[in-house]
Amino acid sequence: MSTRSRLFVTGILLCLALGATIFCAMQTVQAIQRFQQVRTLASEGDVSIIQPWMTIHYVSRIYYVPESYLYEQLNIAGPGSISRVPLRTIAVRYHRSLDGLIKDIQTAIKTYRKQHPHHHSFTNLHANELLALERRMT
Amino acid sequence: MAAVGIPIPITLLLLAAGAFAALGDFNVALLFLISFSALVCGDNAGYWIGRIWGSKVLNWVERSKRWNQLIPPKRMVRSRQYFQRRGGWAIFLSRFLFSALGGVINLLSGSELYPYPYFLLFDTSGEVLGAIIPLMLGYIFGASWEAVGDVLGYSSFLLLSLVVVILLVMRLIKNARILKQVNAANISQADVTESNLEGVPIIATTEISTNPSGNLPLL
Repeated sequence: MSTRSRLFVTGILLCLALGATIFCAMQTVQAIQRFQQVRTLASEGDVSIIQPWMTIHYVSRIYYVPESYLYEQLNIAGPGSISRVPLRTIAVRYHRSLDGLIKDIQTAIKTYRKQHPHHHSFTNLHANELLALERRMT
Repeated sequence: MAAVGIPIPITLLLLAAGAFAALGDFNVALLFLISFSALVCGDNAGYWIGRIWGSKVLNWVERSKRWNQLIPPKRMVRSRQYFQRRGGWAIFLSRFLFSALGGVINLLSGSELYPYPYFLLFDTSGEVLGAIIPLMLGYIFGASWEAVGDVLGYSSFLLLSLVVVILLVMRLIKNARILKQVNAANISQADVTESNLEGVPIIATTEISTNPSGNLPLL
């Protein structure tokens, strides 16, 4: 391959690599923005960030709602073997739609908060998380 | 399986495990030990698969006439020597920074017969970071681990593409310089040829301007 054609091929590859770099840069920026958004919502205790991979146990811990209350509201018998089962698996096991199950959990959390407004200061949820983390590490 | 190149999202698994460990579902130290040993075992499996079978493939490629047209033997030897010199960094960085290349690097290290003790050293030191970073990020950011996984994934590809761009720019500059030198050499050769021909027209005119009888034709 002559030098000229090598130069041409390298130029083409460079253009493709630059295109890929720009694409990755844009995706990285968007991912960072999404992360900041989710982090803010999590620190505010927003129920919209409940995901199918979460378990009832996990949801009860991060939203400070008793596990038994959630099972009662969802009409699911006791923790048993499903305490650490993801919501998507629970939906399949109990023949419910995943979106419906998540919506029921969100409603249950909001209802609990209305019934127990002074149980936790939700504006300080982030501070509480950090405190818990500090205690675990020491 | 990821260690032999099968695309399994190990980082996401570790992030999720870290997130669950933050709530006390798992013991972080135990998680680290298990994930670290699993990662190193997997990398070793990839290395030895490459060593046993990959090296035979590379040797065949080196000897094959058809492949020699595509990849000249000299270039093959040079790239193998380069890997022997710099392979350690490739192994180390592909454990946590360019994790998408980890499986390929394992197979390549074995195929290139990279010394096993050095492979183990770079692999274990890289996997310490490869296990700790996602576990800790999952532990700290908890419910946001999916978003963290996206950031890690895209930034890793961004770094990789930046490295490729830099290498291609260096190659482009090198080829441009070679072309410039070649052009300069051609021009100077053309200059030399012209100056050699400067005496010829005078001699030719003298010869043409005299007819065989020795008299000037037009006078």
